[in-house]
Amino acid sequence: MKLKQIQQVFLMLGFSLLLASCGSESKKEDDLQKASWEEIEEKADGTTVNFMMWQGSPVINNYINNYVIPTVKENYNINLEISGGQGPEIVQLVMGEKEAGVTRSQVDMVWINGETFFQLRKIKGLYGPFVKQLPNAEYIDFSDPYINTDFQQPVNYMEAPWSIGQFAMVANSAKIQEPPSNLEELEAYVKEYPGTFTISNDFTGMTLLKSFLAEIGGGPNSLDGEFKEEKYLELSSQLWEYLNRNKQYFWKEGETFPKEQSKMSQLFANGELAIACGFSEGGIEEKVKSGLYPKSTIAYAWDNGTIKNANYLGILDNASNKAGAMQVINFLISPEAQYLKANADGMDANTVLEISRLPEKWKQKFENAQEREYGLKMKDLEAYAIAEPAPEYMIRLYEDFRTKVIEQ
Amino acid sequence: MNSKTSNIGILFFILIGVIPFAAAFIYALLYSFGILGVFNDGFTLKFWESVFSSGEFLSSFGYSALIALVSTVLSVSGALWITLKFKESLDKRFLSFVMYLPLAIPGVVAGFFTFQLLSRGGFFARLSYQLGLISEARQFPDLVNDTYAIGIILAFITMVMPFFVLLFLNVYKNERLEDLGVLAQSLGAKKNQVTTKVFLPILLKKTSILIVLYFIFLLGAYEIPLILGQESPQMLSVLIIREIKQFDLSQISEGYVVAVIYTIVVSISAILLFLPKKGIAHET
Repeated sequence: MKLKQIQQVFLMLGFSLLLASCGSESKKEDDLQKASWEEIEEKADGTTVNFMMWQGSPVINNYINNYVIPTVKENYNINLEISGGQGPEIVQLVMGEKEAGVTRSQVDMVWINGETFFQLRKIKGLYGPFVKQLPNAEYIDFSDPYINTDFQQPVNYMEAPWSIGQFAMVANSAKIQEPPSNLEELEAYVKEYPGTFTISNDFTGMTLLKSFLAEIGGGPNSLDGEFKEEKYLELSSQLWEYLNRNKQYFWKEGETFPKEQSKMSQLFANGELAIACGFSEGGIEEKVKSGLYPKSTIAYAWDNGTIKNANYLGILDNASNKAGAMQVINFLISPEAQYLKANADGMDANTVLEISRLPEKWKQKFENAQEREYGLKMKDLEAYAIAEPAPEYMIRLYEDFRTKVIEQ
Repeated sequence: MNSKTSNIGILFFILIGVIPFAAAFIYALLYSFGILGVFNDGFTLKFWESVFSSGEFLSSFGYSALIALVSTVLSVSGALWITLKFKESLDKRFLSFVMYLPLAIPGVVAGFFTFQLLSRGGFFARLSYQLGLISEARQFPDLVNDTYAIGIILAFITMVMPFFVLLFLNVYKNERLEDLGVLAQSLGAKKNQVTTKVFLPILLKKTSILIVLYFIFLLGAYEIPLILGQESPQMLSVLIIREIKQFDLSQISEGYVVAVIYTIVVSISAILLFLPKKGIAHET
């Protein structure tokens, strides 16, 4: 009888191995690149699409769960499933699947920006070019450098823009009358109000450091072009010197830095910090309205400019449902979906569509849309826009900010 | 005993316990030498060299060991004190419930609670502000994400001390320490002699392996140092995960190097702990 149990165990093992091998059996991908949109729509009908995205914001989750998911189900009979993950997690997933030889990924489409785009291209993890095939792509102006170039890399229709925004500084005007807007003023500021400024050790913080680096480089365009080691070393050594000279006046005397943006937001909300920064023109509208930030919060421009960039939707190279992903992405860049996404009371994300190209009905809707009550508009910051420098700058800043500032 | 039953037991132990662990370890080992990984092109020692030359690993290891040591010592001392002081009242249902409660709290929750209570925007800071003890958030002492890891240690103690109290109470009863104490006293021992010469040696000896295991457990803790720790030095697990998930894909192997070293250190200590004193391990 015991022998039977052992046999059963082996039987189960063998069975699960069999199942696993069935799952990894490669299936010839139909050539979607040549297919017409009708054929793609037909293929997408009744399928399930898995979308890996950052789920860290309630307004974004609300938009996805209560609008996008039911609408794609109703319009296209697609089950959209969301899984959480961003940047490095997406890259890790793709790397892991590549290492394991998985040909049908558990994830079809991803929400990424230039950093991840660069890494995914490096490991050949993205499918495309596919954007031109999307009918709604006609409303996007691909001659806009902030859309056709992602971290100095040509996008080449390998990813579809989803929203666009600019980095901005945030200050509590009740505490500071004239917030600093260049490095010199910042130095004077931290000495006057010690402990109220810091840099988060994450994507947001590194974006601020890129603005600082460009300022040290002598102007908004000083980091344009390919990554140059010499230029980086020269400028960054000045930046680290500046930060180390002043970090004793930062939050916690510069002994440590907040791990991420959400922590910065908490510190700003509870009054420990009087200056913060963020994407989406500072991203303060929702935070002020929900009562997290005080009503005296303002967003403002940095003299030498701040990074302006778009974020994108991509399809994985080994996605099992590419047609479905294309259908969902086409919906996400439709006037309807983009209009709701731009709502100042909702996700509050600038549209990537060129308003002048839209049908009359949508043109009017966008033009008469409700404006932000507290935040700046992207237009207000237009004169202060800097293009994202090459991705190597980000990678190096991450590494060096840790070894040359945090660990000092 | 039925030998076939024990064979199945061993089979399951190997299937569930040994194979996944060994596979993960071999994977990490190969990754650390650059044999695996999309970005690596074959055997290299450069990741091992850079881990040892940067000094970050050693400081992180020392920092983790120190935090784990301080937390274990404080938890065990506190638990001994509570056990010997309140042994009678701990028999009551309500109090034992209070002791059991922290055992059911996951690390994330303990870390989050500690943050909410001790941060400069937290409960105690607000209370001090309302009471007029401080006039700005900055004046509140630095208790989380701080250099001395006070927040981490407090959270560890909250989680670990109740366990030791229950353990000591059990040993106290099972080893009939009450009777031994009475015996010692009737032989002329003073009250504190009973404590130092009878109670403490027996309690500590009977639980020494568990104390060391808890030290190892705290050495590798993740959630609490992630929430309450500072950015540098970081505790081991936080460092490993950061290295493995970093943006610079060509450096991922360094995380596996640290993971391999950590696994080897812990395995060796575990083997040293159990092998030569098999008898004692079985007694407890």
